[in-house]
Amino acid sequence: MTQGTVKSQRPAAVDVAPARGTLTRRNLVAAAAAGAAAAAMGALRRGTTALGAAASSRDTVVMAPSYVIRSLDPGHTLEPLGEMICHATYDALVTLNGEDLSNPRPHVAASWNVTGGGRLYTFTLRRDIRFASGNPLTSADVKWSFERVMNLKSNPAFFLDNVAAVTAPDPYTVVLRLRDPQPSIIPILSNGALGIVDSKTAAAQGADAGPDAASRDHAEGYLNSHSLGGGAFILESHTPNQEVVLARNPRHWRGAPSIARVVIKNIPEASTQALGLERGDLDVATGLGLSNAQTLSRVPSVTIKNSLIAASFVMMVNTDPELSGSLANPKIIQAIRYALDYDGILKIAGPGAVRMAGVIPNNLAGALDPREAVKTDRDRAKALIRESGIASPRGRMNYASDQTSFGIQYPIMAQKLQADLAAVGITVELNGLPGAVALGEYRAAKAPALFGGYVADYPDATDFLVYLPGRLVGKRLRWPATASAAAGELAHWGDQAEQEADARARVALLQKAQRRLLEIGPYIPLFTPALPWGYRADLRGVTFNSVWGTDFFTVKRT
Amino acid sequence: MNLAVYIGRRVLLLPVMLVGITLLTFVLSHAVPADPVAANLGEQAAANPEVVAAFRHQWGLDRSPPQQYLIYVWRLLHGDMGTSISTHQAVATDLGQDLPATVELAFAAMLISLAVGIPLGIVAGVRRDTAVDQISRSGSLIGVSMPVFWLGLVALLIFYAWLGWAPSAGQLSPRLSRPPAVTNFVVIDALLAGEADVARDALSHLVLPALVLSAYSIGVITRMMRGSMLDVLGEDYVRTARAKGLPALRVTLRHAARNALLPVITIVGLSFGGLLSGAVITETVFAWPGLGSYAFRSATSLDFPAIMGVGIVVASVYVFANLLVDVAYAVADPRIRMG
Repeated sequence: MTQGTVKSQRPAAVDVAPARGTLTRRNLVAAAAAGAAAAAMGALRRGTTALGAAASSRDTVVMAPSYVIRSLDPGHTLEPLGEMICHATYDALVTLNGEDLSNPRPHVAASWNVTGGGRLYTFTLRRDIRFASGNPLTSADVKWSFERVMNLKSNPAFFLDNVAAVTAPDPYTVVLRLRDPQPSIIPILSNGALGIVDSKTAAAQGADAGPDAASRDHAEGYLNSHSLGGGAFILESHTPNQEVVLARNPRHWRGAPSIARVVIKNIPEASTQALGLERGDLDVATGLGLSNAQTLSRVPSVTIKNSLIAASFVMMVNTDPELSGSLANPKIIQAIRYALDYDGILKIAGPGAVRMAGVIPNNLAGALDPREAVKTDRDRAKALIRESGIASPRGRMNYASDQTSFGIQYPIMAQKLQADLAAVGITVELNGLPGAVALGEYRAAKAPALFGGYVADYPDATDFLVYLPGRLVGKRLRWPATASAAAGELAHWGDQAEQEADARARVALLQKAQRRLLEIGPYIPLFTPALPWGYRADLRGVTFNSVWGTDFFTVKRT
Repeated sequence: MNLAVYIGRRVLLLPVMLVGITLLTFVLSHAVPADPVAANLGEQAAANPEVVAAFRHQWGLDRSPPQQYLIYVWRLLHGDMGTSISTHQAVATDLGQDLPATVELAFAAMLISLAVGIPLGIVAGVRRDTAVDQISRSGSLIGVSMPVFWLGLVALLIFYAWLGWAPSAGQLSPRLSRPPAVTNFVVIDALLAGEADVARDALSHLVLPALVLSAYSIGVITRMMRGSMLDVLGEDYVRTARAKGLPALRVTLRHAARNALLPVITIVGLSFGGLLSGAVITETVFAWPGLGSYAFRSATSLDFPAIMGVGIVVASVYVFANLLVDVAYAVADPRIRMG
């Protein structure tokens, strides 16, 4: 709809003149009411004019994402929106092309080679990159940026846990020495949190990369409102919890982006986002929710997409029977797998979600073919319950009652799981908790069973080895690598997969590990989700990558 | 008791009340069975004891709760409300940024409520059991019972999406730049910056959320005013005024309505406090970056300093609103003495 159409829909002016010259109670009240209405309408009309004028700035893109920003300092950020902004304002050594997560490409690093048995990564930097400040980007900045992330000991520090040392033998060469071989370091380096910071300017603002950075660095406040990178955009302003404005970086080494300005607004309500997108006040909206996205798919001026997310949604059971009761029995876990109605679950997950056979999302190399996934077979589920010898299996399942991720409403999904299990005689009591409480119980290894998703921190299948015994999620389900010989062997396969340099051998190891995980592990894989999102049809080059969201450099308006 | 002495006493009691509020807020927020580490650190970071220890140290969470509380109160006495874990800004700065948006909204909603509710209540009382009365009673009932969330979405759908009369959600049109922050009242800041178009745009954005937020107060004020008018219109002094041959409008407005306003003043005072602290749903629907949204985000991310800051502000608002109500009582009816 054009602004011209909007103008034609404005109401005629309200006549507030009294019918007679004398002031009576009736016409006093009528005049007051009419005056108030006229004032409001007048304000609305003038406001619409202002809106129309503003909307003509075609080189501005307005986006409404799921708005959570804890930090815009690359040394501290981790959440998706923070990474999207860091990706726009800081350039990393490597990058990804749009939604393709499997082929990291050179970016600040023109090339790299791996030596030392997979432990030495030598990067040759481009020589034509300058920060927005005008300072040249050199290996000293890369070394400083990585050491700062490691020494700040904040959210993104784990990305570089395996890095023993960063050296800069010459101004355009950087060497990462790893403790163990780790081919996933390349996709890890594409992360927005590992963007290269202008070290000289940052140090002048109180940033520190030394061993005591956690206590000596005082730059986060500054970096929350200023960017010190060489990315395609510059952080123009950040009003916490309200909006972030990015401005085109005219010095950017790939050339200035087509879009001059990006406004990222906090619009928490999905329906409000949908109305804004439909009316053209928003250009991109990623927090639409399933039902709004379906409605908007019929609007010609809006393009709706469902982008696969590198995340795995699973039901999991604590291996400690003290907590999870009879659900911890391996036969019952197998019965749960056969009891669930996966077609119905996928309908709740929304269009684009894909059935997942293992725990690695379908869009990462190493995922099992969805055709391998367990099919619903309630008779088999009942037979497994009988084999377990447990007459009435029962237990409790936690879920975050206030959470919606990728359009998936957790309470609805939890109720679906409960109903499916009840159909074969497994009683599950639902325990809906506020998100922070549910997360706290899970991290303290106190959740009896739970439903939830693990979203990739970096685009590589090895990030999902967290499900193995003795690793992050395994520990939270009280499943150590010492639980059994089979668990120990599985953990060993995980270590091997993590270090395997040959891509095909790595995929084979990951798939073997997942098949074993399904035999002995406390997981019921469900699906890889898809994000329902939309953008105005006159935009080109808009993508949604599940690690950093949208890359505004490629966005153009036709 | 002299009015000035009464006000002085109430103001002196304020710090004591605020300390009580801080204690209550602190105890309640720490009683929640959740850890700020879970709410603020990522999955991998939370599994690293070194990172968790650094986080706890940074935010003073490695001290015992009594120590944390005493440190907080000590700093508060020195004018420091702490730093928000979520925004990494001083809580006072956050509040200074978000509170004006809510004050703007609540003030506009209260003006609408008074402008509509009081005349409507008077007319309904005077014209008891007529069509006007029936309509006003039905309207009040709808206003009081309509869920704000639903009303807000419907209002946006009709006036923004369908009719195009109202602008988009938010304080300003998305493509407009915010004026330089001076007072953080967008309209005032825009005027100070000489940006009349931006001020007008901000005002236009205020109308629909203020109307939606006022629906409940209009309902309450109308019903209260009507009931109060019915009581007063049956009083002897009103009959006397009429018997003296005074014009009906004068009797209604000067003799009846002024006295009928007393209970309404109480409601207005409490409603204003409620509008300030309870606008969270309207703020969510209309993407209005105010105190309600800030309180919600702080609570869900267990941002203790921010939660405490919001508690202090909301409590202060209620205390001042009640004080103003008492003063307004005395002004509206000089027979009332403070005691």
